Amino acid sequence: MAVKAFSNEWAKAFKDEVNNSTVYKTAGKGWKWTVGLVVEAEPANHFPEAKGIVMDLFDGEARDIKVGSASDAQKCDFVITAPYTRWKEVATNQLDATKGMLQGKLKLKGDLPTIVRYTKASQEMTLCTTRIPVEWPDEK
Amino acid sequence: MARRKVKAKLDVDSRSEVVYADDEPSAFASMLGGLIEANVRSHPEKELDFESLKARVGIWVTDIDEGVTLEFKGGMLIVHNGLKPKRTLTIRTDADTVMSLSNLKIGLLGLPVYYDDVGRGVALKLLTGKLKIDGLLPNVLTLNAVTRIFSVQ
Repeated sequence: MAVKAFSNEWAKAFKDEVNNSTVYKTAGKGWKWTVGLVVEAEPANHFPEAKGIVMDLFDGEARDIKVGSASDAQKCDFVITAPYTRWKEVATNQLDATKGMLQGKLKLKGDLPTIVRYTKASQEMTLCTTRIPVEWPDEK
Repeated sequence: MARRKVKAKLDVDSRSEVVYADDEPSAFASMLGGLIEANVRSHPEKELDFESLKARVGIWVTDIDEGVTLEFKGGMLIVHNGLKPKRTLTIRTDADTVMSLSNLKIGLLGLPVYYDDVGRGVALKLLTGKLKIDGLLPNVLTLNAVTRIFSVQ
């Protein structure tokens, strides 16, 4: 059953996908920083307010993933920011997150060597989002 | 040509610095410049390479059609958007392999490790033509130095 994009239900489904991933469990070993995803508002696409996804990831496990404000997400150790449409492209496998960051479509804040070291883990997290059936507000 | 200095001297004892040739560095240029800057700043052994390396290294990412030229000038790096002339080496590959190159471990004698998972993947891409390095044969030592500076491992 589809969940609303970037809702609490979506966050729970995302957490479950991450914790069910053996690839992430291995690739995320040693990771100990929080990650915030800022989803910028796009009123024209029925996404009127920015949201923040706060991810407490530790040693290959998602301890918590919750939806809050953009400013909550901006307090994390690593912050990735993009407009709603870009995140939708990532979650529907139309945009590879690595390429998106190299192209500046996804803006990254945080220690670059660390994030590069965990490229495989971040790619698997992206794949986890693609496995969640989502109800997109601009497709209603 | 405008050169935007984004980082002053890395520390009191070092001449090392990273600057951008373009007023608006591309996202890729900013990422590579930022990565190298952070690496050199936090690893003294990389700083030695950085201080001595003189080469123009192009990196072209085939699946995003973007590239940069890294102009190492012995303690200074100028990052250019796009490929510039008179390059010593040019690496052409996809975004994933660029990430793999920066994840190569450095082993004995400062040589990149090609026998672990990441190294084998890079070597396979080189053998199958998915990773192309123009100017490799006469510049193996330069490539090794660039790899050491670039590696986050």
